[in-house]
Amino acid sequence: MCVFAFAKAYSQTSQDSTKVYKKRVLETVEVDFLSSYYSQDGDNAAVSGGIGTEELTDVTGTFVVSIPLNDDDVLTIDAGVSAYTSASSSNVGPFDDGPADPFQASSGASSSDLWANVTGSYSHSSDDRNDIWSAKLSVSTEYDYFSVGVGGSYTKLFNEKNTEVSVNGNVYIDTWNAIYPTELRPFGEGGNGLSNRLFTQNTITGNTNYAPIFTEFADEGRNSYSLGFGFSQILHKNVQGSLALDFVQQQGLLSTPFQRVYFGDVADSFIENFQLADAIERLPDSRFKVAAGGRLNWYLNETFTVRTFYRYYYDDWGITSHTASIEVPIKITDKFTLYPSYRFYNQTAADYFRPYEEALSTDEFYTSDYDLSEYSANQFGFGVSYTDIFAKAHIWKLGLKSIDLKFYQYDRDTTFSSSIITAGFKFVMD
Amino acid sequence: MMKKIIMLTMITCLFSSCVVVKEYEKVNINDPDMALADKKCDRNVTTAHSYREAAVGANGGKTGGGCGCN
Repeated sequence: MCVFAFAKAYSQTSQDSTKVYKKRVLETVEVDFLSSYYSQDGDNAAVSGGIGTEELTDVTGTFVVSIPLNDDDVLTIDAGVSAYTSASSSNVGPFDDGPADPFQASSGASSSDLWANVTGSYSHSSDDRNDIWSAKLSVSTEYDYFSVGVGGSYTKLFNEKNTEVSVNGNVYIDTWNAIYPTELRPFGEGGNGLSNRLFTQNTITGNTNYAPIFTEFADEGRNSYSLGFGFSQILHKNVQGSLALDFVQQQGLLSTPFQRVYFGDVADSFIENFQLADAIERLPDSRFKVAAGGRLNWYLNETFTVRTFYRYYYDDWGITSHTASIEVPIKITDKFTLYPSYRFYNQTAADYFRPYEEALSTDEFYTSDYDLSEYSANQFGFGVSYTDIFAKAHIWKLGLKSIDLKFYQYDRDTTFSSSIITAGFKFVMD
Repeated sequence: MMKKIIMLTMITCLFSSCVVVKEYEKVNINDPDMALADKKCDRNVTTAHSYREAAVGANGGKTGGGCGCN
């Protein structure tokens, strides 16, 4: 009995005096700088009712700083700006100067804008690293839009970290500062209609009795609620996959206030070559979306890896969509990897989509936004990455760990096409 | 659709019960190119897709916030 008690006491002492080694979740401060240059063009601008230039360029720069607060906790600050110039949105006010034409850019204030975002997130991992909690808060702003988001997630690993399940939720509270097409503003509350100087100083051709259907939106809020579930599994020492299921409910002003619609049953009015709006798009004030996706990655050998992705999407506006992509990273040396990729996307049209002049003034909802039309798209990409695991090159106390450069060309089976160049630089603090 | 997702999840769970890859066998699984997420430098590509395409979600990208209207 005494021996047993001694052994038990010794084992407890021994346990108490044994320090369990716990690897830090993040060893040191990491800094990512991400940048991209995006350009697009097409002939179906939503701002001008489904006809007109979609030309747009956008430049972004983002810093992502991850700071280990202790062995278990990581704080991440993500701050970025995005500056765009858009021939399409410049035609919110096409009568500023120069010829008014949906296929030509205007010089007004709506031709460019700056979007800024700050997101802070905090994650905590349990001692055995099998439980991870995280929370985040984000704020983003641009001239006509403001968004605040909060979110959280919980991840559980088990089966010797071969299996992972997760749940996440996000809420975004957004507010529009609605901007309407120039020619509609005189028909809003307190407006003077055709007595406005826009119409007295310019000549209306076609239907000179211009009488659009227009009332300003009373509620400019838009809320989004999302709930997501994730499951990932190591299937083999060279194969792993994951499944994701997201539900999104949006409520509020889901129409874009400056997107024009032209009715087929209303005579057309023009100033110069620009057709005056019959209305702005009207869409329901709620939308429910479901997306289910899966990834399967296969490490073929030291040179080739295959990364695949598939997603099915459905929403209650009548859109269904399939997305499939494949990327084959090719390690050509221990420092350089190539990233050829292909992505296919298609979608059906929203119930409320009508091409130029095909909506009727008697319809309840309508839009000529070709992003809500039926189409399919192919995207080809190529990238190269440089990795130095020793991070020898330095800027101040930051060692350069990797550089990623990628280019993607995206083409719809309509007139729309876009391209994007992205760059990512990863630094670790000494 | 929902039935298919549940079935697929259950089948994957069944597989998981008979395959356990030990930590020392995860060298290839831990390769950065095997990550079950897009690379950080692809984030702006995903954002551009979410602006121009109707479908969002199930890919690690944003599912809300912002107008995506330009």
